[in-house]
This record gives sequence, structure tokens and C-alpha cells, in this order.
Amino acid sequence: MKPNVNPDLDLTISRVIKAPPSAVWSAWTNPAQFEKWWIPAPALCRVATMDVKPGGALVTEMSEDGGPFQHHLSACYLDVQEGRRIVFTNALLGGWRPAPTPFMTAIITLADHPEGTDYSAVVMHKDKETRSTHEELGFHDGWGTVAAQLAKLVEK
Amino acid sequence: MILSLMDYYSHQLDSIFLALADPTRRAVIGRLGTGPASISDLAKPFAMALPSFMKHIHLLEETGLIETKKQGRVRTCTLEKKRFAMVEGWLSAQRAIWEARTDRLEAFVTATQSKEEKSQ
Repeated sequence: MKPNVNPDLDLTISRVIKAPPSAVWSAWTNPAQFEKWWIPAPALCRVATMDVKPGGALVTEMSEDGGPFQHHLSACYLDVQEGRRIVFTNALLGGWRPAPTPFMTAIITLADHPEGTDYSAVVMHKDKETRSTHEELGFHDGWGTVAAQLAKLVEK
Repeated sequence: MILSLMDYYSHQLDSIFLALADPTRRAVIGRLGTGPASISDLAKPFAMALPSFMKHIHLLEETGLIETKKQGRVRTCTLEKKRFAMVEGWLSAQRAIWEARTDRLEAFVTATQSKEEKSQ
């Protein structure tokens, strides 16, 4: 299935990564590797659950300034095609249980490229109004915080 | 090299976020959010020498986040609100998160890759 991209709500990132698809796949599916890039340093990421199969859970936690680990993301894998594609959403928790604050679905695709991997991430969002509730994605990543604080400042 | 519109946009966002990734500069933006102010007024709350403070002002000006005008001996700073539209947008914030996330993924896998090549 191809996503129906809505430019007002969705974003697409496409890049050629100079490493084979197997390396990129491993970075997405091996918890120890995933922890190294998912959240920006100096915050630390811990993968609580990573059950890479349809219906499996992806739960990440983060620690800022060496403090206790707090919830970051709870999501559910929807589609997993070995080495090719991962689709996950935070509209569901592991085991397809409905999530309290659905917000986004991400489609990660990997394809062979002469220089490595043809990588793309399509991220679809529910709406713009949920911005205050979707703290788990974005807010803690710093950029979201800055943007939100900024919007407040300039709206004064 | 021709930059695509998206690359250009992404580059602009990077420079804006870089400019804002500093507490002094954020405080200046916060102060200017309430109205224009002179450099000396802006510098007052900070325990730093004026040349150091001016570096922050220059960076904000280069990024286009503020505008400065000299009248007589006083240089006044004003917030360039249009510039903020780029980061105000909720989707652009999400994009910045995913761009940065992809940067980290790319750096991670290419570093792992070159290590493996060396060990072979």
C-alpha cells in the first residue's frame, strides 16, 4: 500500500544513505543500535520493548540530564518487511490495543541504491490540533520545545 | 549546485534552530517579543562583556531573526516576526525532528559501516 500524502499534515524525508540497507535495517531493529540515534544527545534513550513484527510494541524511554528514565514513545508495528519496510503508529499500543493519544503513523522504506540505501520516511499526522497532547513525539526532542516556546514568545 | 526548495528550506530551518540553541539568544528573543529594545538594555541582564554579547546579536541578525538599526549612538533591535513563521508552523517542527533523527541514523550507520570495513 502506498500512503496518500496530505501536504498539510504529512512529511516525507528521502535520502541516499551511504551504507547498505542491511545496516540501516539493523539500526532500526536492533535495540542497542536504535538507542544510539533515536533521541538527540545528551538525552539518553532506552528501548523498553522492541518486538519487530506486526502487532508488536515499540516502547522507548528517555533520560535528560542523567535523571530517571521517562516515557518517550509507545507505538505498535503495523507492517514489517524484512530489510525493506517498517510501518508503525502510536495510534495503537503493542497487541493492537488502542492508544490514548493517537497522533502519527510512520512508514520507513529502504531500497537498494548504487551508493547504499535509498531511504525514505513518510510521517502522517492526525491533525494539527493534537499538538498539545502529543508530547511523546517531538516535545521532548527539543526542537518541538523550542518551536512551541517561540510561538508563545512571538504571539505576545 | 542547485538546491531544491526543500533543501533550501531545511537549511534555513537549521540556521534558525542553531541560532535558538542558546539560552542567551533565546532570552534576547523573549525580551524582544515584548517590543524593540536597545543593545545596552538587552545586555543588562547578562553577566558577560559587551563584545561577547554582540556576537549573539550578530548571529541573530545574520539568521534574520532580528533587525538592528542605529539612530545616533543607540542601536535598536527589533524582532523579525516573519522569520518565525518557519518554525512556528507545527509541521515544520515535526519535519525538523525527523530531519535531525535521519541525520543521526545516517551518521550512525555510516560510522558503523566504516568501522566494519576497517576490520575486514
